[in-house]
Amino acid sequence: MDADIEVIRDKYLNLNFDEKEFAIDPNITTEYARLCGETAERFLDPANEDFQAPPTYIASLSGSRMLPKDFPRFGIGMDAGKGIECLQPVKPGTTIIGKTHLHDIYTKTGRSGRMIFVVTRIEFFDESGSHLANSDSRMVMREKSK
Amino acid sequence: MTIKVLGDVEFGEDLPAFIPDTSLETGAKFARLVGWDGPRFTDHEAAKKEGLPGAMIPGILSQGYLVAMIHNWAPPAEIIKIDTIFRAPVMADDDHTITGVVTDIDEDTALVEIDLTVSNGKGETRVFGTASVKLPQ
Repeated sequence: MDADIEVIRDKYLNLNFDEKEFAIDPNITTEYARLCGETAERFLDPANEDFQAPPTYIASLSGSRMLPKDFPRFGIGMDAGKGIECLQPVKPGTTIIGKTHLHDIYTKTGRSGRMIFVVTRIEFFDESGSHLANSDSRMVMREKSK
Repeated sequence: MTIKVLGDVEFGEDLPAFIPDTSLETGAKFARLVGWDGPRFTDHEAAKKEGLPGAMIPGILSQGYLVAMIHNWAPPAEIIKIDTIFRAPVMADDDHTITGVVTDIDEDTALVEIDLTVSNGKGETRVFGTASVKLPQ
């Protein structure tokens, strides 16, 4: 691990820097499911006894910030991937709370130089504080040449 | 064959190929739905002005296709985790196919691991995903 990345990891990892509420609208979650090509009724039919948002719906929910305010800018960030972990269904018609922290910071070095990967995780909770899901956004920044 | 329980799944089996709706119309509707209605997702010509080859399908819609494919194959499957790597843009109005293969079955936890790939008409991989799903025993 590069020394400068170690310093940044120590300073920023696992510290919440954003919190935001999201109202889960059944009209939006059902349309989301339909556009994805879902066929399972529990994602499409509000009358279904197990009605829930499609598992990847939370990937569309963004916090107020992607990175902490004073996080160093290595270069222009690009979307490198998304990850979802589902612990309990997200129920349309409820309000959930997303708490954001940096989950991982690492580098890869290729022919064009060093690339810095930052994984921003939003942990989602229901109003009683029960942990529902995690959504990871992986951003890659190609380091500016020095 | 539609999968209903863990015992229906065979190690190494291919999921039925899934043809996602990657039309500009669908991609643009999706982008507007989630508030990402920038021109790169809604308009080919405007996307070209941004230096792109054309309008793209939002990455999270590609992720949604992967999950829809799993539910088409196994309706009761509960998604536990899915990780998606965006290798290259999925271009709107290009034909794409999604393939999947079962890479692990854990009888104790009822978890099935699946590798998933979104390819374009030239056979180029655009998105790669791995999913862990739980099935009734």
